[in-house]
Amino acid sequence: MTATLHRPRDLGTALDLLAGLGDPMVFGGGTAVQILLKQGVLFASDLVDIAGVPGLADLVATPGGLRAGTMVTLRRMETDPLVHDRAPLLAQVYGRVANPRVRNTASVGGNIAHGDYRLDPPTALLVLDARVELSSAAGARHVPIREFFTGFQETTVRSGEMVTAIDVPTQPLGGAAFTKLSSLAANDWPVASAAVLVTAADVGDREIRIGLGALAPTPVYVAVALPATASDDDAVDAALAAVEPLIDPLPDVRGGVAHKRRLGRVAVADATRAAWHDTPHDLRGTPGEEAIDDRRPTFLRRHRRH
Amino acid sequence: MTVDPRSSVATAGTEPGGAVGERWTRVDARAKVRGELHHAADEALRPCLDVVVARSTRPHALIESVDAAAAKAVDGVVDVVTGADLHALLGDAIFTGPAFADQPCLAVGKVRYVGEPVAAVIARGQAAARAGAEEVAVGYRELDPVHDVDAAVLGAPFVHDVLRPSIVFGDLAHLRDKRDTNVNYEYTLRHGEPAEPPPGSVTVSHEFWCPPTHHVPIELPFTAAWRIGDRLEILSATQTPSYVRQSVADLLGIPLGSVRVRSAPLGGSFGAKMYDRLEPLAAALAWTRNTAVRLAVTREEAFLLTTRHGCAVTGSMTADADGNIVAADSDVRYDTGAYADVGPRITAKSGMVASGPYRIAQAHVRSRCVYTNKPSAGPFRGFGVPQVTWSHESLVDELARARGEDPAAFRRRNLLREGDVSVVGTPMHSADFVGCLDAVTDALDWDSPLHRPTGRYRRGRGVAVGIKAVLTPTISNAVLQLNQDASATLMISTVDMGQGSDTIMAQIAAEPLGLPEGSVRVVTADTDVTPYDTITAGSRSTYHTGNAVRRAAEAMRDKLVDIAAARFGVPATDVKLTGDGLVSTQTQESASIPELLHGHFGARGTTLTSEAEFRTTWQPYDKETGRSPQVTEHWFAGAAAAQLTVDTMTGRVHVEHLAIAGDVGRAINPAMVEQQLTGAAIMGVGHALFDQIVFDEGQIVNGTLLDYQLPSIHDVPDKVTPIIVENPHRTGPFGAKGVGETTIIPLAPAIANAVRDAIGIRLTRLPLTSERILDALAAQEEQS
Amino acid sequence: MTPIDLVVNGERRSVTVGDDDLLLDVLRGLGHTSVREGCGVGACGACTVLADGHSVSSCLARAVRYDGVALTTADGLPAADDVVEEFVAARAMQCGYCIPGFVLMGHELLAENPDAGAAEIDAHLEGNICRCGTYLEIRTALENAARRRREATRTEKEPA
Repeated sequence: MTATLHRPRDLGTALDLLAGLGDPMVFGGGTAVQILLKQGVLFASDLVDIAGVPGLADLVATPGGLRAGTMVTLRRMETDPLVHDRAPLLAQVYGRVANPRVRNTASVGGNIAHGDYRLDPPTALLVLDARVELSSAAGARHVPIREFFTGFQETTVRSGEMVTAIDVPTQPLGGAAFTKLSSLAANDWPVASAAVLVTAADVGDREIRIGLGALAPTPVYVAVALPATASDDDAVDAALAAVEPLIDPLPDVRGGVAHKRRLGRVAVADATRAAWHDTPHDLRGTPGEEAIDDRRPTFLRRHRRH
Repeated sequence: MTVDPRSSVATAGTEPGGAVGERWTRVDARAKVRGELHHAADEALRPCLDVVVARSTRPHALIESVDAAAAKAVDGVVDVVTGADLHALLGDAIFTGPAFADQPCLAVGKVRYVGEPVAAVIARGQAAARAGAEEVAVGYRELDPVHDVDAAVLGAPFVHDVLRPSIVFGDLAHLRDKRDTNVNYEYTLRHGEPAEPPPGSVTVSHEFWCPPTHHVPIELPFTAAWRIGDRLEILSATQTPSYVRQSVADLLGIPLGSVRVRSAPLGGSFGAKMYDRLEPLAAALAWTRNTAVRLAVTREEAFLLTTRHGCAVTGSMTADADGNIVAADSDVRYDTGAYADVGPRITAKSGMVASGPYRIAQAHVRSRCVYTNKPSAGPFRGFGVPQVTWSHESLVDELARARGEDPAAFRRRNLLREGDVSVVGTPMHSADFVGCLDAVTDALDWDSPLHRPTGRYRRGRGVAVGIKAVLTPTISNAVLQLNQDASATLMISTVDMGQGSDTIMAQIAAEPLGLPEGSVRVVTADTDVTPYDTITAGSRSTYHTGNAVRRAAEAMRDKLVDIAAARFGVPATDVKLTGDGLVSTQTQESASIPELLHGHFGARGTTLTSEAEFRTTWQPYDKETGRSPQVTEHWFAGAAAAQLTVDTMTGRVHVEHLAIAGDVGRAINPAMVEQQLTGAAIMGVGHALFDQIVFDEGQIVNGTLLDYQLPSIHDVPDKVTPIIVENPHRTGPFGAKGVGETTIIPLAPAIANAVRDAIGIRLTRLPLTSERILDALAAQEEQS
Repeated sequence: MTPIDLVVNGERRSVTVGDDDLLLDVLRGLGHTSVREGCGVGACGACTVLADGHSVSSCLARAVRYDGVALTTADGLPAADDVVEEFVAARAMQCGYCIPGFVLMGHELLAENPDAGAAEIDAHLEGNICRCGTYLEIRTALENAARRRREATRTEKEPA
């Protein structure tokens, strides 16, 4: 049975469709949805194609960071100078998703709405404390990304709602790293991924923020505080202790629970070590607007994985 | 083999050359890069109905009912055909296969694997056919399935009630009507007398496992068929047009001459597109319903059409105190799935080399082909040999290590040399194992110390060699047409699937005639036009078809010489063919080929035709010993050496340098030989590290390219060194042999031996996933 | 059914498509058989086309979304295309089935980053499968194409 395709030209119409149709689904970038439809494992009476809705693909600077409309492509997040300036970790992580064709079509909103526990972007969005804008015919609400993923392939998006934007605060100063491990072919889905950001709330204190992918039925966030004087090894130990109770992998052809747990620990350790190591000793607070550019590389190169 | 003395004699002194050994650009290179070369599914066809099959959801069950009412109600569906329908029309001819006539194109009465075709939905358009297939309701009575090869060996349940060997093979006659077994073929090799190991000897033994894998050529399988009066025409992506023609004629009970099979350039195949795939069903539907049909399958369906045999080997090897291999024993079980396909042939041809390319005093092999309730396994690049090489090259390595000897040096001492008689009884020629071993170890600077870090990353080196016999006996034919403008058209039924046969054959044809690059066009296989050729497979084409082509070209040269002699009024012995045409050495009179043919026929645009055949013969192996003095026409010899690191935290293997070598006799086109050596090696890296079909209760769980693991550019070793070893074969065309499989054979053990060297652990189950490596490291730590 | 205009290799083609018709099938129907299905799930790259210069897996793309969008297929590249020429020169093909997809990925990469070296090339080609294993030749072809573009740019910039 073929789902009916609707192609609204404004947001109001789109939201009315979502409110009024029997079993609608938002058709954004269309990558994951199209695969699932082809595989016959996704059932929807109607598809609401939001590609023609103006404004949803805007990527703009905000006073505290950036705002990505739901239809901004992953590839734009990877390459746009604004993202490189304000949230370089995010640009790096979006650049690791699947392959360039997927990133050219898949959208920021659809990516998280998909709710796949193995996705890379949630790991960075979690440590950056992004907020998701959800809209419905009744209005908009904002949900912290840390509350967005509620279960295996489940999110907080309600019937009649859609993701309309993600607000990402400017990345705090401090070391950041992303580690993604696959267990089979190099470009396979990850069996473990970890985004780690080290920040300073007050002089002398550090917070290690950790976002995990593929290691539990949902993306997972945890933070741990450490004195700035802690060694790299201390930081790694603290991070591992923090994630230990949260790692709850799903076994599949890529590995069993024990294996994924093992690789999860390696991903967390590697990312934490790199991020802690890159954190300056005199780190303090959030950067002012003028301080951004000289602290970060302007173009992140992807390196061949070892 | 048959030798035409005239061609050998006439060769002398009149060899223009300029083609063989040259790096000619691949035929159709630009068209391939721009995507303008047409594959089978790209051809403009007459209007066809689309066929999609409804597939079994049970691994082993009796079909109690097929309800097609809902499917027929789908808009666009024309009809639904079941196996029972076709059986009523075609009888037992519906059961086909290259060794056993055991596979129906639609299940008759019983299904034997998840995904087996049960009913064909014929519709106007793919979408309607697919929608209809979803609606076919099948009632099953479940039978106990058997999924594991070793369980299947033991006894019930039985996949087939009765064995059905093909009538084509006399040596399978004793298996006819045999019941109560899943073992459909058994090959035994006995060489030398079993004896107590001498004092000071060392024995190693292990259980080995190679999982089933899939070929995954990126071009999907495709077949179209239609009937024109009393003739059936088929366009199919197949490596075996001549086989398909006979198979379909037998299926339909019509004369061979009434079947036309056209192939097309294949977008890869590696053994996937040969023998009976989509063709029997397409032919049966087109013929019985007098309609044009097209079968285009999805990637998910392609996984169900054929696989590479999973294989268990129990192996042991013994060396005496002097380091000579004195005994080798292999018990090999090939999992052929629900249908034998060519499994029995694989079982024999790979069983005979299960001890490896070594001088061994006493060898014993038991090799069995076993039915299970899984998709059928068939030919795959290497034809079962990589699976047994996994065993013998791991064992040899352990044996060397047990003796405290360098694994390369140990192999070098024991490898077969020119003239040695292998354990199977056939002498070695043009198979320089030592040369290949030396080439790859030299490339890795084997004798210099290796930097071995002791931290997280460990480095190691490994080597392996491989041996394979070419398919024997086989037949090739070639028809060569020289056009009046001095271009040529070559008619052969070899299928170019990326191995480059259209280029190689053009070079072979051009060599005796002195024709330049680009002047010989190879006609795409078409059984109405191109002559019989056994199969394009098993690395046989360069030698066999190449010999037929060479002979046809030499016959053409002789014809030209005769025509020129008549024109010049001189004896034929006085005429020479040169790059500029034909010349009388006596009178210096000359004529270009265009002038000569114009004069001969008195017309422009004419053609001159020659033809030749080439056949090989064998002596069947002895039933008791499995030995034969001529079990094969020739041998393939190859070696691989790898330097790699193992990340002991993640278990990932990173190949820093991979060197591969093959003795190809003589490289007709060195550039394309290097591509075959390298391409097979990269495929082999996948087999070594991650490539496998994963089953759960008979169901493939990773049968999409989102889950199935293939090497991408990130998985390519940092450095790959392909090395051509040339020991000309005395009867090869210009000394040449094939190369398509040579380096995939030793690849996985070379990598495993390097992993062994790096972390001190022998892994016996493929692939060497990070999980297996970390598990092994954890076990190692626990022990120490 | 929706009437749309596909702008394929600069040529406007009016077609009527169903909502779930895939760009892959529509383009093949128009004769662009360089666009090929290999996996149906966007994982192999054989069906790659460029849409406004950006690579897309046409096996997952609904044609109705590409009304008026400039599409490029490998068969529509100019007769003297630098990437094609370098692929031929580097012998970057065996069966050739997947190669048009690699060529278009190469075009996208070099348009974005003419300084691309091996690492960037590998990163950009990570979602394309060549089962024949021609990756090293493909990488060489794109390194040479990048060099050729850099040299062309330098020549243009040199004062007369």
